[in-house]
Amino acid sequence: MTRISPETPAGAAAAAPAPWSIRLRDATVRYPNGVVGLNKISLDIEAGEMVSIVGLSGSGKSSLIRTINGLVSLSSGTLEVGDHRMDLARGRELRRLRGQIGMIFQGFNLAGRTTVLNNVLVGRLAHTSVARTLVGAYRPRDRQLAYEALDRVGMLERVYHRAAHLSGGQQQRVAIARALAQEPGIVLADEPVASLDPPTAHAVMGDLRRINRELGITVLVNLHLLDLARGYGNRLIGLRAGEIVYDGPAASATDADFERIYGRPIGDQDLLGGAASSASTASPVSLPGEPV
Amino acid sequence: MSAAEYPGLPAKPGGRWKIWLAIGIIAAITAVTLAPGIGVDFSLDAILRNWRNGTEKIGQLLVPDWSFFPRTIAPLWETIQMAIIASVIGAIVSVPLSMWAARLTNPNPVTRGIVRTLLNIVRAVPDLLYAAVLVAMVGVGALPGIIALVLFNVGIVVKLVSEAIESGDPGPGEAARAAGATQTQINRAALLPDIWPPFINQALYAFELNVRASTVLGLVGAGGLGLLIDAVRTFYRYDQLSLIILEILVVVVLIDWASAVIRKRVK
Repeated sequence: MTRISPETPAGAAAAAPAPWSIRLRDATVRYPNGVVGLNKISLDIEAGEMVSIVGLSGSGKSSLIRTINGLVSLSSGTLEVGDHRMDLARGRELRRLRGQIGMIFQGFNLAGRTTVLNNVLVGRLAHTSVARTLVGAYRPRDRQLAYEALDRVGMLERVYHRAAHLSGGQQQRVAIARALAQEPGIVLADEPVASLDPPTAHAVMGDLRRINRELGITVLVNLHLLDLARGYGNRLIGLRAGEIVYDGPAASATDADFERIYGRPIGDQDLLGGAASSASTASPVSLPGEPV
Repeated sequence: MSAAEYPGLPAKPGGRWKIWLAIGIIAAITAVTLAPGIGVDFSLDAILRNWRNGTEKIGQLLVPDWSFFPRTIAPLWETIQMAIIASVIGAIVSVPLSMWAARLTNPNPVTRGIVRTLLNIVRAVPDLLYAAVLVAMVGVGALPGIIALVLFNVGIVVKLVSEAIESGDPGPGEAARAAGATQTQINRAALLPDIWPPFINQALYAFELNVRASTVLGLVGAGGLGLLIDAVRTFYRYDQLSLIILEILVVVVLIDWASAVIRKRVK
């Protein structure tokens, strides 16, 4: 697997980052309170895949996503990202690997009182010295990457706005830009649209799909709505009680498959509705404006 | 009982006796502290016996000696300067200390415990005591007063701001950690922006307290109006003392008003 060198010259900044694969072997996550997040999971995700991970809350999908960038550490088993042993990484090495893995959260996790630009530059911290961070003197190349990332999600004109003044959908796009500014090999998204209204949810899912298709980045998305999972993922992984109970192509996953994953009948509450997600395979060039 | 009020109403949660117990304990403690022999020597007789004395002083206080004004300008200005310098230095020192004292910005329990313990000690000592000791160490003047106020400011600002940090949103910090940032980078880039408002609030509050505190620090020789207060008090010049009190009142009101304006803008 080729690595992204932080010394890439500014002119090559637009070059697509090399995607990373993910390999889990007998991975178990047991929390200090005894709850088992993941139970002996073995999983291979190839570089450049777009994977939907579904399951009820408590099924372990958050644990899985957070394990991959080391926010949650494995109790036993192994984890490789690219050709690096994530489970063994500590300190500087762990931060370097995290720097290559973007993450998107349900709650956006932006610093509300500062600018969109400063928030996106957080994605460059792994490549910025502490001294530069303290005085806020980011290098020109890092700013360049932040502008490009914002441009890619259609938020460039908001670059100097305060993050808290944006709508939910706009905030999530800024959060995606923050992940893109990392030039990541993997993007992890933990329920990225759960706080958004249906049209905005589709727009954000569309952004994630574009990241996967145009930049080739491996994308893992946690979802609980099955139409989004089916429509935007190429591969679907179903989790239940910390174990993989479904692994196959997303498009052909049937309602019966979902009922097996969820352990209960499927109803309207498991669907988002809105735009026909699987039909709109052509990625929009410009994103639709914010509703509301 | 509950069934009579409404069928199916669950029984009231217990624990009301705790309130009565608390009231009882407070009453008992008050009674003990007032009891002759054990408690403080406290009697209202003193007021009755000395009331003529008191009214005389109040009469003097009601007639300020305006001619004294020119002599108060320099010490008043010194008091304000002490408060400003101490507030600024205290505020600057408090930024990193607040972050080291809060769990969200310093996950290491050992260093956090050390910083918190030191600050508890700093806060436990009254500012007047700092000033008295510092006057003995560095001599009479504004310097011991400023140092005493800085210690006082750091004690309260760090406590209040670190509590505000604890109750803040951990989300931005988590995002920065996920992006490979060090704790220092997380604190600076992701958490500091949202800490500014509580920080400025508490620093202004400390400044308001400093203006009041710096007036009395002079009593132990630490510069400012206090020196003058001590002098006029010694000569029983209550008319001059009342002018000083008036001046402090005006300054305090002005500063409260100014900081209210600043607070509103920071929100």
